[in-house]
Amino acid sequence: MHCLQGRSSFLSFPKLRSIFWRLHHTTASRACSCSKTVSDEKYQDPFKLGRKDLKNLYEDIKKELLVCTAELREMCEYYFDGRGKAFRPMIVVLMARACNIHYNNSKKFTLLWLLKGKWEVQASQRSVAIITEMIHTASLVHDDVIDEANSRRGKMTVNQIWGERKAVLAGDFILSAASLALARIGNTNIVSVLTQVIEDLVRGEFLQLGSKENENERFAHYLEKTFKKTASLIANSCKAVSILGCPDPKVHEIAYQYGKNVGIAFQLIDDVLDFTSCADQMGKPTAADLKLGLATGPVLFACRQFPEINAMIMRRFSLPGDVERAREYVLQSDGVQQTNYLAQRYCHEAMKEISKLRPSPERDALIQLTEMVLTRDK
Amino acid sequence: MRFRQLLRALRGGGRARVAVAGRRGLLSAPGSAASWSKVVSEAEKLVGYPTSFLSLRCLLSDELSNVALQVRKLVGTKHPLLSTAREFVYDNQNNLQMRGLVVLLISKAAGPSSKVELSSQPDMVSGIYSSQRSLAEITELIHTAFLVHRGIVNIGELKSCDGPMKDMQFGNKMAVLSGDFLLANACTSLAQLQNTKHRLFQDEIEANNLVVELISSAIGDLVQGIYYENSTLEETRLTDDIGISTWTEQIFLSHSALLAKSCKAAMELAKHDAEIQKMAFHYGKHMSMSHKIHLDLQPFIKGNSTDSVTFSLNSAPAVLHQEFLGREAWIKQIREAQGAGSILDYTKLQEAIKAGKGVTSAIDLCRYHGNRALEALECFPPSEARSALENIVYAVTRFS
Repeated sequence: MHCLQGRSSFLSFPKLRSIFWRLHHTTASRACSCSKTVSDEKYQDPFKLGRKDLKNLYEDIKKELLVCTAELREMCEYYFDGRGKAFRPMIVVLMARACNIHYNNSKKFTLLWLLKGKWEVQASQRSVAIITEMIHTASLVHDDVIDEANSRRGKMTVNQIWGERKAVLAGDFILSAASLALARIGNTNIVSVLTQVIEDLVRGEFLQLGSKENENERFAHYLEKTFKKTASLIANSCKAVSILGCPDPKVHEIAYQYGKNVGIAFQLIDDVLDFTSCADQMGKPTAADLKLGLATGPVLFACRQFPEINAMIMRRFSLPGDVERAREYVLQSDGVQQTNYLAQRYCHEAMKEISKLRPSPERDALIQLTEMVLTRDK
Repeated sequence: MRFRQLLRALRGGGRARVAVAGRRGLLSAPGSAASWSKVVSEAEKLVGYPTSFLSLRCLLSDELSNVALQVRKLVGTKHPLLSTAREFVYDNQNNLQMRGLVVLLISKAAGPSSKVELSSQPDMVSGIYSSQRSLAEITELIHTAFLVHRGIVNIGELKSCDGPMKDMQFGNKMAVLSGDFLLANACTSLAQLQNTKHRLFQDEIEANNLVVELISSAIGDLVQGIYYENSTLEETRLTDDIGISTWTEQIFLSHSALLAKSCKAAMELAKHDAEIQKMAFHYGKHMSMSHKIHLDLQPFIKGNSTDSVTFSLNSAPAVLHQEFLGREAWIKQIREAQGAGSILDYTKLQEAIKAGKGVTSAIDLCRYHGNRALEALECFPPSEARSALENIVYAVTRFS
């Protein structure tokens, strides 16, 4: 798992091609301003760039989950079936490469660093991707118990199949395995950064428990919860790989800000889709968040036009008919548009940040990703 | 048969040490609860402050205050979280914070390592480094987190006598959240273990990471141990067909691994060598095994208690009883004790076990582990802290 890729086929054709591509782009773009993207060779799919690094992602995660009891292992491996899009690990490896290139590009240009494959993802950076996905999955397993969910990603939840007791244990085990893998990287700084995520995830869940009476506080509360539950993971994992790839604290901040902004945007769009995807597709509402008593972006915006929603928010949409009424208000209001607009602003911020890095295909992929976050339809 | 050999060894080895220790009042103990409290309170003086405050900082957080408020809604329901919370607040047995106390004591008993220059050592308070104190707290946090996580109920298996499903779901939610919160705090504290102002030297960084590895692996052990525990709780599977050696392995995971590895980690933090670390590990391991067996024996030892008896069919006396009797005869006894509707008459079963050799051999096993724990302490120089650790062993091997 930890061997560097590409070393064995030192001058293979694909590798040569890659080297010359980079040679061309580094010399060509050194002069131009960093804020422009390298436009001519726009990758259709930014995910392609990270695919090689993530090829054995799920297999490697499973290796970390070695446990004697067959059933416990089965539970832990349940979501690492390769069906997820691995969005988070993808961002992590792209960021890793972008930072590696940024740093190595700053040195006096020599052919040597190209041949050495200095843009390749380091073993420790790849570990961060793995750990990130494990932490994320552990939190999902627990969230499903908390929300009493019975399906996720098109199949039954762990708690639905094996019961809540074992599901909670499985989540704990994945977390402990992630923590072990984290310690093995051997970098106390990285341990702190990623441990922060674990804490934020829990605090985010708690924020969801409570509610603010004051309308003004509500939005700040919502954004804080969104950061802790979704964005912190992406922000801190980006920061972690940047630390491993480059000593410059400015780069760490860029990586962190990119992750944070993309993460928040991602969740905002998720919240929008909870209202709109149902309307388009089945005509039957899902409104999962409302059913859980949660007031998300579209609802909070709609509140400004329809103050009646306030009372419903306070009682967490618990009375019969609340969910349907709230949903209708939202669709009548500009709540969805406002939330979309807000997401756009976060994406723009992310784009601004990442553009501060020196050009590379990976940097451009990350820029493209911000656009993809906005246009996804689940 | 390996088991018989083990028993012979227990009886032979156990008696000698116990006789020596008898001078300490092993056989003339007034009552286990009182002496246990005494042992604990004297130990607490040695380590500088009452360990009941160990997790308090965490409890004062907004999040847990919120949970406490919510848990009040559970009053009147049957969710296990309520009893866990109650035990936490009204700790009669002083069983709480025992692990933290042991970690502090062993840190003090081991003292500073001879390898490290006095001038470059961080400060000690009451003979304990702040990183070791932090570790003691982390151990308690993890232990408590899993006490809470053990109290989750399977919604699908609820019966009408368990009360409204809504209450149980709510209880589950609180239990998952508060357990996760405690675990997250433990992880954060682990990450900050040697957060000193000066630059960490390479070996300190390594020590830190080793400690994080040890404790993370202990969490994994705990999960696996509880998983086994769960399997034996399922009513459809009356009792597992496991022998005492498998039982020991599983109990190690669920009840010993955490303390054993914490003790070892505490030595690592003080940069003690491998031998000391190993002995600390053994103390933690055997002392907690002893403690578990001691707890298992309580329903069988308490004199003429008229309280309704329940005990786990997976407790030490029951497992040993089965080992002696053979599986078939044991199953027969269980069936005989089952009344109408498969409800187990625990009193009847208790009598059956008492009539056999399960109880006496459990006592022997308890003392065997106690002796192993005492042996491990021999590598530490005599001190009050070491005596306190010895007293703990005496307290858990005392059966009056």
